[in-house]
Amino acid sequence: MRSLYVAYLYRAVNMKNNNDLTRRRFLLSVSAVSGTMLVRLSAPSLLAITQAACTARDVGAAFGILTDGEAADIAAIAARIIPTTDTPGATEAGVIHFFDNAFAAQMANNLEEARKGLEALNAAISGDRTFADISADEQDERLRAIESSAFFKLMWQMTIYGFFAMSEYGGNKDHVGWELIGFKGHQGGWQYPFGHYDAQIHGGSDDVE
Amino acid sequence: MSSSVTFDTRTPVDFAIIGSGSAGGILAKELSTAGFDVVVFEQGPYRKAADFRHDELAVMMREELMGGGNGRNRQTFRHFEHQTATTPGDIPAWYAQTVGGASVHFSANFWRFREVDFKERSLLGPISGTNFADWPIAYEELEPYYTRVDWEIGVSGAPGPFDSPRSKPFPMPPMPVKSSGVLMDRAAEKLGLHTQAEPLAILTKPFNGRAPCINCGYCMFFGCEVGAKSSTLAAMIPLAEASGHCEIRAESAVFRIETDAKGRASEVLYFDPAGNEQAQRAKAVIVCGNGAETPRLLLMSASEQHRDGLANSSGYVGRNLMFNAHAVVNSVFDEPLNDYKGVQVTRIIHDFYESDEKRGFYGGGGIDARPLWSATPIFHTLQGMPPDVPTWGAAFKDALAHNFTRQMSWVGSTTSLALDRNNITLDPATTDAWGRPALRVTYHDHDDDMAMANYLQDRCAELSDAAGAAKSWRRPVTPLSDSAHLLGTCRMGDDPASSVVDRDHRSHDVPNLFICDGSSFVTSGRGQPTMTIMALAFRAADRIKAAAAADDI
Repeated sequence: MRSLYVAYLYRAVNMKNNNDLTRRRFLLSVSAVSGTMLVRLSAPSLLAITQAACTARDVGAAFGILTDGEAADIAAIAARIIPTTDTPGATEAGVIHFFDNAFAAQMANNLEEARKGLEALNAAISGDRTFADISADEQDERLRAIESSAFFKLMWQMTIYGFFAMSEYGGNKDHVGWELIGFKGHQGGWQYPFGHYDAQIHGGSDDVE
Repeated sequence: MSSSVTFDTRTPVDFAIIGSGSAGGILAKELSTAGFDVVVFEQGPYRKAADFRHDELAVMMREELMGGGNGRNRQTFRHFEHQTATTPGDIPAWYAQTVGGASVHFSANFWRFREVDFKERSLLGPISGTNFADWPIAYEELEPYYTRVDWEIGVSGAPGPFDSPRSKPFPMPPMPVKSSGVLMDRAAEKLGLHTQAEPLAILTKPFNGRAPCINCGYCMFFGCEVGAKSSTLAAMIPLAEASGHCEIRAESAVFRIETDAKGRASEVLYFDPAGNEQAQRAKAVIVCGNGAETPRLLLMSASEQHRDGLANSSGYVGRNLMFNAHAVVNSVFDEPLNDYKGVQVTRIIHDFYESDEKRGFYGGGGIDARPLWSATPIFHTLQGMPPDVPTWGAAFKDALAHNFTRQMSWVGSTTSLALDRNNITLDPATTDAWGRPALRVTYHDHDDDMAMANYLQDRCAELSDAAGAAKSWRRPVTPLSDSAHLLGTCRMGDDPASSVVDRDHRSHDVPNLFICDGSSFVTSGRGQPTMTIMALAFRAADRIKAAAAADDI
């Protein structure tokens, strides 16, 4: 695991694509994130940041980049995008740790946009309260109002990433994202039959839960 | 990582091959095992099977194998010449920057062209406003080389009802049918259509010391960690290196081919891994960059003698870019398919392959059944959700949980017509990470290409209904702004006025400059070009060896 991890970090450092927001024909047509400034972090510093963040996730300690307040608000947003229902959601997946890791490394140039978005979101909330403090219904209402903003799209996409990317990135804790949708991609190879319909041809159990 | 043999840059090697992908890897193996000294230039790193991981975020979202998208591999796009090209979020011309090129990360769908593909212009007549033409070679001339691809790189499959004749059976049986394929079989039977097993450049049995597929499901966009995908990385380059005559020079980005006073290619200029300029002397140069990088390099190699770019007296370098259009219908079924397991495609339909004047437009294509976006979770969530489902909240989560294992896609892929307006040029304002002028892609599908895509989408919708889908939806057919199929930009032909290379892949203008890759295509085929690129490469190698034996290079 350690060597895989180092390999990932090595690539992360060499990955000069910081335009991480956009994907081909992204459904919500996320607007291109400006800037081509490269993330300039040495491998040891990145290793330290990511390891610290992963350790933090495990012991519930402080965040590497985000303040506790920012983390609480982002975690609250993620929890409305993929809510906890009778199954685990973004909260149980530890998606916030993906945000914290990504803002320290591959998506560092999106941090400012996230902070500005949070500021605007909280500016509209009265008193000392922030987004994390208001009711779920009010949270939904406020998110619906900014659904088409670049900030919401950033939060949305990072929540998806954090919920489904490999756990090494900080989220998808105990593979809860994969478990939710029935994806067992971490298990390696497979034997036929794979599903219900080919089981009718090949016979045997279709491995369907 | 370096090869076992290294060549001096100041002593001319027999061949400098630019690009290590589907064509370059085969030419490297063929020429080096014949005793020629070969240096292969690859701008990406030398990753091997053990380096490939199931990391969707890095591979699919951050385009790790494609040079990191618009960070390193910066490109620009516009639909029409009168527009200013801009840098989109996703690169328009997809290919892998890694030893083995796109053969490393493709889905390995592996159709031969059919006889009709090579002579359609003669059969159908001209199409006004296009550069629709016959190939200078026929299927019969390429058939022995398709068979060599089958048997040398390893192809699994079974003959289909519409296939052109083959001189030898497939070396191994097809992949067993997946649930998506079972549903296609059932639907086709109801509709009177004919399915066939998908030919794949993926091993179903041990072959030449390589292991068969383990059905991990990470084919599309990913490198194969067991070497079962028949990339040139897995199948050809090890043989080339074992010859002792081939050096793979990775992380070496070529920016110019130099010519001497006699007008012959003499030197390949490139940036080494440290970014320093280097020059490799060579007796002959073979460009195998792909249909985007090959014309870019030739245009970058303009000189006093070759003002419009090397090998471009015809003006055809970069022209006639063909992408293959696509149409998709997504379906959700009542029971789980778990189609994320195994290869993408196990069944195809070729009933609509040939052009039919009754449709009212030129074109043909094939339809396949596959998970497509439902092979991995992030891509599924970003691309594969039904349009009527909320994009966040509990209902979104419920749809994700229900659909992922139950979803599949019907994918139609079509012909593209060769047009002057669709091309690769050098961007005047943007450079890539090495400082080279960025690839500028100008592309807008011909109306007939879009009509064919819509026609196939109607057929896909019928298949979905006949298969009993609980829910299905169409992805809107729109003009393409990106593609992994980069074809036609240095077309092959007998007439130097309307083609770049001759039927033996030698450039008309420069006698010791050869070009072989998707750029050699005259027509686009029906959407799976890699098998034909590899067959052309085996044939080109034979022609080049014959020319060398006759002292004619």
